[in-house]
This record gives sequence, C-alpha cells and structure tokens, in this order.
Amino acid sequence: MICARDIRKSFGPIHAVDGVTFEVNAGEIFGLLGPNGAGKSTAIALCTGQIAPDSGSIDIGDAGSPRAARARALIGLAPQQIALYDELTARENLIFLARVHGMPNPPHRADELLDMVGLLPRARDRVGTFSGGMQRRLNLAAALVHNPTAIFLDEPTAGVDPQSRTAILDVVIRLAAEGRAVIYTTHYMEEAQRICSRVAIMDRGRVLAIGTVPELVATHGGESVVTVDSVAGQHCVRTREPLREIERALAEGGATAVRIEQPDLEMVFLTLTGRRLRD
Amino acid sequence: MRAVAFLALKDLRLLLRDRAAAFFTFVFPLAIALFFGYVFSGTSSEPLHVAAFVEQASPAAAMLMKALDEDGGFKVAVIDSRDAGEQLVRRGDAVALLVVPSTYAEGLDGVFSGGGAKLGLVVDPSRRAEGAMLVGKIHEVAFRTVFAAIGDPAQFARVLDRMEESLKASDLSFTDRLAIRTALSRARTMSAKGADSSSTTKTQSIADWKPVTVEIAELSMRPGVPANSFAISFMQGIAWALFGAVLSFGSGIAEERQRGTLVRLLVSPMSPNQILMGKALACFVTCLVTEWMLICFGVFLFRVEVSSWPLMVAVTLVTAFGFSGIMMLLAAGFRTQGGAQGAGRAVLLVLAMIGGGTVPIVFMPPFLRIASNLSPFKWAVMAAEGATWRSWGMSEMLIPLAVLAAIGVFGLTVGTALVRRSI
Repeated sequence: MICARDIRKSFGPIHAVDGVTFEVNAGEIFGLLGPNGAGKSTAIALCTGQIAPDSGSIDIGDAGSPRAARARALIGLAPQQIALYDELTARENLIFLARVHGMPNPPHRADELLDMVGLLPRARDRVGTFSGGMQRRLNLAAALVHNPTAIFLDEPTAGVDPQSRTAILDVVIRLAAEGRAVIYTTHYMEEAQRICSRVAIMDRGRVLAIGTVPELVATHGGESVVTVDSVAGQHCVRTREPLREIERALAEGGATAVRIEQPDLEMVFLTLTGRRLRD
Repeated sequence: MRAVAFLALKDLRLLLRDRAAAFFTFVFPLAIALFFGYVFSGTSSEPLHVAAFVEQASPAAAMLMKALDEDGGFKVAVIDSRDAGEQLVRRGDAVALLVVPSTYAEGLDGVFSGGGAKLGLVVDPSRRAEGAMLVGKIHEVAFRTVFAAIGDPAQFARVLDRMEESLKASDLSFTDRLAIRTALSRARTMSAKGADSSSTTKTQSIADWKPVTVEIAELSMRPGVPANSFAISFMQGIAWALFGAVLSFGSGIAEERQRGTLVRLLVSPMSPNQILMGKALACFVTCLVTEWMLICFGVFLFRVEVSSWPLMVAVTLVTAFGFSGIMMLLAAGFRTQGGAQGAGRAVLLVLAMIGGGTVPIVFMPPFLRIASNLSPFKWAVMAAEGATWRSWGMSEMLIPLAVLAAIGVFGLTVGTALVRRSI
C-alpha cells in the first residue's frame, strides 16, 4: 500500500533522509521510531507528498507518487501539531475538510467521525475550548474525513491523558482492522510494542532496524537478566536463554525467588540509537 | 473550483469569528467615514453658519440680515453671488444658503393683503435636520422683523394703503368692508399715536401666522463637486475597508502555516494554486462586501450620489481585484503571522494615509498629492470618487482602473509564485 524505495532528502549539508526503504501493507500498523531529529517527520512529509525526494521513489497503492492528486486522495495525515481551526466548531472543521475532499454529505460524515472519536456531544463547540486530549482525537478524525487507505499518524498521542490515549489507540487498531495501512510515529515504546505489526527504528536519516517487535527484541534487545535470590545471597546472570538459567538455579537448590528482566522495545531503541541526549 | 469556494467560505467564517478582525474590516471603515463626514460638515453646538445672498439691497433685507446676525443661533456670511454661496454649502462651510429675493421688500408691504414675503433656502441634503431648524429660526426672525417694520409708522402706513387697495378690489359685502375699513382707520390712528400696549396682544393672537414663506431647495450635485462631506468621507472609508481586508487575509497563509492547517491542505487533493486562489477569493469577496456596505450606507443614509452605477460596479470589482493582489504580495513576504501583520500595518497604514485615508485627496497639498500616486489606496479612492461626485466618464476612469488592475495582476502572479516557493 505504501512503498518507499531508497528515498533521500537533504536540506543543505544535512541528510534528513538517507536511503530509506520500507513497505507497509494494507491492514498493517507500521511504527516509525527514532529520537528527535532522526528523520521521521521528513520521511512522513515525503510519503505524504508535502515535499519531493531528491532521489528514490514512493508509491501510494496503485496511484503512484504522493504528489499526484489521485494519490493524495488516498492519504490521511494527522500531523504532530494540532492542525485545526480553533475558531470553528468541531463539526465545522470536519465539514470543511470533507468538502475540500469532495466527500458526499459532509455533515453526515462529520457526525460519523465525531461519534467514532467520542466527540459528538461537543460537536457544536469551538475547538479552541477543547482540552488537549479532545483536540488530539479531533485531529485524528480530521485525517479520516475522506476515508483514506494510507494513514500517517505523527505522534497522535503526544501529551494526552490515558483515557484519550486509549481511545486513540482503539481507533488506530480499528483502522488497521478495516484494511488500511497505518504509519505511526511515537516516542512511547510501550504504545508501539502494543499496536504495531512491524517497527522501523530510524536515526540520522537511516533505518537502523526493521521487523516485528519480537524479531527486533531478539536481534537487538540483548540478553535477559535472571536474578536468583537464595540464602547465600542474590545472584544475577545475563543470558539469551533465561529459562535454562532458571532451571539450573532451581536444580542447584536454595533459591527463594527468581526474577527475569526480558529486553523490550525500549532496550532495542536505546541499544540502536545510544543513550546520549539528543537536543 | 468548488474546493476554492469552500476554502474562501471558511476564511470568511474565520474572519467573522475573529471579533477584532471583523471590527477592523467592517465597522472601523464605517466609523471613519462617519467621523470624517461629521467633522468636515462642521456639526457642533456652535451657531449655524449660514451664507446669505441678497439679490437687491433694501432696508427690509438689511433688517432681516441684522436680525439673523444678532440672533445667537446664526452666524451669517453675506456673499456676492448665489454660486459662491452654494459653493460654501457644498464644502460644508455653511449649513445653507439663504437667498433674499429682490421682491422681498415689496412682499413685506403686502404681508396682510394676500401677498407676502418669500425667502429661498438652499440646504445641504445631508444636513436636513439643521436645515429644518434653520427654517424655524428664519420664521421667528422674520416674524420679529415684520412687526418691527410695522412699528415704523411710514412702513405701516404703506401696509395699510395696500390693504385698503385690496379691500376695494374685493367682493366682500358692504357691512364687512365697513367693519374692516373702520379697523384699518383705527390701526392707522393707533400707529400714529405710537400705540404699543395692544401690539403685544395682537402678536400673540396671530402666533400661527407666518409673515414669510421659505422655499427650500436641496443643493443639487454638480459634476466635480461633492454634494456633501459624506461624499468624500465614505470614499475615504473605502480605503480603510481595503486596509482591513488586506491585513486580515495577508497574514492568512502564515496563520495556516503556524497553526499547521497548511500541511493538511497541502496533503488534500487541492493544488497549492487552488489554496492560494481560495485565499485571494476570500479577500476579493471581503473587499467587495465592505466597499458596497459603505456605498449603500452613503447612498441611502447620507445622500451620497453615484453618478454611474455601471462604473461603480467596475470600480469595486477592479479595486477588489487589485487589493487581492496586494494581499498576496503581503502573504508572500512573511512566513509568520506576526511578521505579516506587523509589516502589513506599517506599510499599508502609510500608504492608506497618503492615499486619501486621512486627508482627502482634494484637500491635499500639491507635494502630497504627487506622493499619493505611489499609494494603491489613492487610485481606489480616486476611482470611487470618479463614480460618485467627480462624475467621471470611462475615459477618465481608465487610468485608475488600469493601475488597480495592473497591481492585481502583478500581485497575484508574483505573490502566488513567491508563496508557492515558500510552502
């Protein structure tokens, strides 16, 4: 559905995207992770046709380049920044966008989406009066007015409360279940681990690793840490086979408690991108 | 094209929701027009300035002038010609022109015998209320002067002579004629004795009687001369209306960029050109609406006369087009809303001021009039004046319309290209 092949984009001497290749299938949630300045937003800008790549190609389904009007009709984008008109009501925002996209019966479509993100009771309130979480949910709804099949969500849960986050994640899972391709960027690793079918970790414009979460953890997560408490004291072992280590500790006897710390996506992320601060 | 229209509608709705922007776009120009209109028309609590033209000097006319001048409510300027008087009224220097006809003194002689004195009053149509007040004052003063004249035995004797002549020619019965003749005889005797106590009673008993007839004429518009001060101030208001519209929409692209909605629009099936056309269309419509709002206010409430409606339609269309181009240039120049609004205010304010927004072009000193050629507001105001009190034809209108059209074409092409490069 979304196919990027060796795309490159430079701004002066900075290689914002440097030979990125990935493919996102229909029904898949593809996580694009990376520290600040990794090139995620540039990659999304390229994939949504906001800017043209210096080289490489991007295809949106059969419609070709995202800069073509036919392909843009398939793209839904929820930008990282809340992109709504504060002075308009929630309903007016969605009706306007539905009209721009040439949707039939925009008011009906607006109400459908407001219902989906739980904002129908506030449909006639101005967006400027909404909380951050409500604005995020509406920002997501605005990306869906024209029923797109390739959806780009750039940190859609940034700064929202747990209730709104859960609501947003439920909508994203539902979108994938309906057969849409979703590219999802986030800084919350547990979110990516929870909903993404596959994940690409980017840094300095390059894709460092790509695969399912278990694959990435297995490849880049490092060893599990098994901690055995016994009468003799505490004993920690780093191993790729924690179960075998537990069996061995139990066989030796004297173990009073055993804990396993398995590597996760965050570990993978830090392993690949390092622990140095990025400003 | 529908998407462009929806985008323009959305921008108009946003404008109306922003109270400050809506005020400066729709209300402020009207307030400016009214403010300057009243300032130039000299409305105040001071005595009414009246121009007076006496067609033929006479003691009666002199007495009227003196009485008007001594009345606290008037300040009378006696001028040499009717034209000069009308000019004073047109310029707003006088509320009305009082014309004392050559038959005034003769009319006074027949004041009780079916004749009567007549006065002419030429008023500024936009100052009817003051005109009506003036008529009342003239009646009051005329009443006093007539009775003052009667107090003069020689004048009163002439009045009685005229009345007796009229009585001879009348078909009244013998009894009636006898009664009136007796009364006239007694009046003649009392006047000769200088009867004073009874005159007061008589004056009060005929309070409703008017010794002079005031014939009112509204000042007709002349080509090249504004009919009233509002004919100038409402055209000035157009400059401020255009200022407000350009400023509101000139920062529109930067605002879309800052609030992130530009990205959403760019990802939509709309092309960047369509997005920009939507902005230009919203500005165009706002310019047109505010221009026509001012014109309608001026025409229907303040007697501003439009000399050519087709030309006025052309003027408003071309002006709105020209200023949409200026809006696009402003949008192209600045990436932030603050930058566009700050610079827009600074540049447009100066251009509006030298373009007739504050000092009307007709009152500008020569050097400022030359400098004002650099201001697109000047051409807009000139064109609007051309379709109203200047009564221009198509040939005279050609230059301002061509300038405004050229500004529009330049602004929209260059501005659009520059904005496209920046988004």
